Amino acid sequence: MDTYVPVLILGLIAGGFAVFSVIMGAMTGPKRYNRAKYDSYECGIEPTPQPVGGGRFPVKYYLTAMLFIVFDIEIVFLYPWAVAFDSLGWFGLAEMFLFILTVFVAYAYVWRRGGLEWD
Amino acid sequence: MSILAASSTTATFVAPHVEFGKLSPMLIAFGTATLGILVEAFAPRKQRYGIQVGLALVGIAASFAAVLALAGTTASVVAQGSVAVDGTTLFLQGTILVISFVAFLVIAERKTDQNQDAFAAQGASVPGSAAERETTRRGWQTTEVYPLLMFSVGGMLLFPAANDLLTMFVALEALSLPLYLVCGLARHRRLLSQEAALKYFLLGAFSSAFFLYGAAMLYGYAGSVNLAVIAQHVAHPTAGSTLLYTGVALLGMGLLFKVGAAPFHMWTPDVYQGAPTPVTGFMAAATKIAAFGALVRVLDVGLGVNSAENVWRPVMQAVAIITMIVGGVLALTQRDIKRMLAYSAILNAGYLLIGVTSTTAQARAAVLFYLPVYGVAIIGAFAVVTLVRDAGGEATDLSRWAGLGRRAPIPAALLAVFLLAFAGIPFTSIFIGKFAIFQAALAAGSPDLVIVAVLASALAAFFYLRVVVVMFFSDPLPQGPTIAHPSIAVKTALAVAAFATVALGVAPSLLLHLANNSAGILAK
Amino acid sequence: MSHGYLSPTGLEIAFVLIGLVTLGSGLLVVTVKNLVHAALWLLVCMGSIAVEYLLLTAELLAWIQVLIYAGAIIVLFLFGLMLTRAPIGPTEELNVRHRWPALIVGLGAAGTLVTVIVQAYQHTWFDPRGAVPLGSGEALGTQLFKYWVLPFEVLSVLLLAALVGAIVLSRRGRDTEEAEA
Repeated sequence: MDTYVPVLILGLIAGGFAVFSVIMGAMTGPKRYNRAKYDSYECGIEPTPQPVGGGRFPVKYYLTAMLFIVFDIEIVFLYPWAVAFDSLGWFGLAEMFLFILTVFVAYAYVWRRGGLEWD
Repeated sequence: MSILAASSTTATFVAPHVEFGKLSPMLIAFGTATLGILVEAFAPRKQRYGIQVGLALVGIAASFAAVLALAGTTASVVAQGSVAVDGTTLFLQGTILVISFVAFLVIAERKTDQNQDAFAAQGASVPGSAAERETTRRGWQTTEVYPLLMFSVGGMLLFPAANDLLTMFVALEALSLPLYLVCGLARHRRLLSQEAALKYFLLGAFSSAFFLYGAAMLYGYAGSVNLAVIAQHVAHPTAGSTLLYTGVALLGMGLLFKVGAAPFHMWTPDVYQGAPTPVTGFMAAATKIAAFGALVRVLDVGLGVNSAENVWRPVMQAVAIITMIVGGVLALTQRDIKRMLAYSAILNAGYLLIGVTSTTAQARAAVLFYLPVYGVAIIGAFAVVTLVRDAGGEATDLSRWAGLGRRAPIPAALLAVFLLAFAGIPFTSIFIGKFAIFQAALAAGSPDLVIVAVLASALAAFFYLRVVVVMFFSDPLPQGPTIAHPSIAVKTALAVAAFATVALGVAPSLLLHLANNSAGILAK
Repeated sequence: MSHGYLSPTGLEIAFVLIGLVTLGSGLLVVTVKNLVHAALWLLVCMGSIAVEYLLLTAELLAWIQVLIYAGAIIVLFLFGLMLTRAPIGPTEELNVRHRWPALIVGLGAAGTLVTVIVQAYQHTWFDPRGAVPLGSGEALGTQLFKYWVLPFEVLSVLLLAALVGAIVLSRRGRDTEEAEA
């Protein structure tokens, strides 16, 4: 548990800094409101107006999310394997290789189907 | 092996011995499916169908050969206690593979529907849109269904063999997930199909969650998910039984959902109706076999101790009775042949549950006999349904089937054979199966269940025979459905199914003998 | 060393406090009228569960909770809101009409769970920081490759099937190679 004390302290510092910045900004900064400032911030470009009825986003986003989830789950299994790597030896390596290979078959399939393209 | 005891040896990791030989049936199935995905990735579109169908059939045959090779070996628990390879496992695996082979012949059929298979040209097209017509015109096909269904076959092979709840859960997901997907890919009546897929997925996910929660509670009770360890703890309890019974109840819900027993049957009619008909046949037969295999293993290996049996048996008997009543009564009211067969599947799950609750070796043998004969007949019945076609796909409304027997005597006669078997007419295989189950239940001392089952059978005979009467003794409709001429593969599948249904009714001793021999061996 | 409920350690107090955070954020998930806010409260809920895992020394589980649930699942939820025509602002549609039956079912389920757990473990005392370092990544890695190799490999196949299914259900148009030709 003691190993987490530095993490906790770092978290507290980060949180404190965020709160401090917001408060200090509000206290010391000038307040000049105009229409541009009330707009939503979209990386500096003009915000795209939302179509009537909410509009619909392309399903491509969903594919990206699915790819992300699958590889996220793969990473989760890589972690315990990596920390126990020394004792697991060749057997662990072979099994993990098989695991990653199987998931990469999916990757090859997605690539060939054009799932990685954003046209 | 308790997980606590195991972890004390953390420091010295010894690579486990993996018995590839004993695991080969499922490894072959999963390997074939993975290969199929590579084919999807790299083969040109025109060649995919042929390669996929060939690959799947060869994979199933190879897997069956592996099962045969293992047939004589001693029962053992392999893969660090995860998988039990015993007589029951091998019998069920062999059955699943034979059924899958026949089902794949029907699934791959293209001749009945203008050289198209039963699956949507492109699953993502909006139903009825121009894009959908365009992809259909180009002759695109969703050939991914073959590797996906092979994944499902692999999961089904593992499900009844799993000897711990974790492996069982992974197998459950591996068998279910591809089926959820494939259910939504019917070529005709897309909306109905998508609705079925969504319902199946949501309810299936709920039931999986129940299963997992139950497994977690049993782990809390026994300190292990291994069925043998759970059995030890049940026999010599070290703690109160609250966790045990809550866990068993939740686990049971998950499993009863898969076998389609009331009151967890709600998905069955909608999914059976909406799914592509050949897939419905595959699901009705193979999923039921795998799920009953898993149920038998959990109840007989994990909870086979007398003290536990006395608790779960009355509950399961009640479930069996409700299932038979629900299946029998609601089947009577159906106008759609696929829905009617779905309720008949629920009814048959009820009969099978009688066998499961009896827990004697005799009852287990009866269940093992019933599963293949029922599976073959239901695949045959759904295969006949794929042949009766209208402009918008299959004509599944019963009123459209009037006089079919005069216009197409052979398909109608084949369906009549399967329906008469379901109705339990003597000299059919299912009659023998029912007889064996009822006999085992009487021997195990539950005549009340047998009485309900006989009454339900009488009720069932009415709606099965009604279809036969509509087909043979009504006047044909002027604009009746057309009868497709199937390819030699479907003809073979139908002939095999009908032959098996009759032959195993006249001379059942070989399969009965095999079932008897297999049922006694349950690795613990 | 004596164990009792009357003189809790700092760790136990922290556990209870974070448990309250979990409960509160969980309640907010089902009661707020803004779907996006509900998803963000779910994030708080998942995160605090991760901290609870950490307090029970289940390190790896805690990180999985953060990576998969707090990270990926919430992202998927927000994507889901984006892809369907879900209302982004506050909406009356989230007013649950069957509020009271839902409350009864929820309380019933919670009561059952509490009863079951209390019944099962009332005389048991687990010391999470005992001699067995079960929750660490290394211990679980060894366990995984020692006892759970088969489910682990089948899981990779399941992931493969899931991804293929996602493509089959959502991908339109030609393949890569056909687009080039």
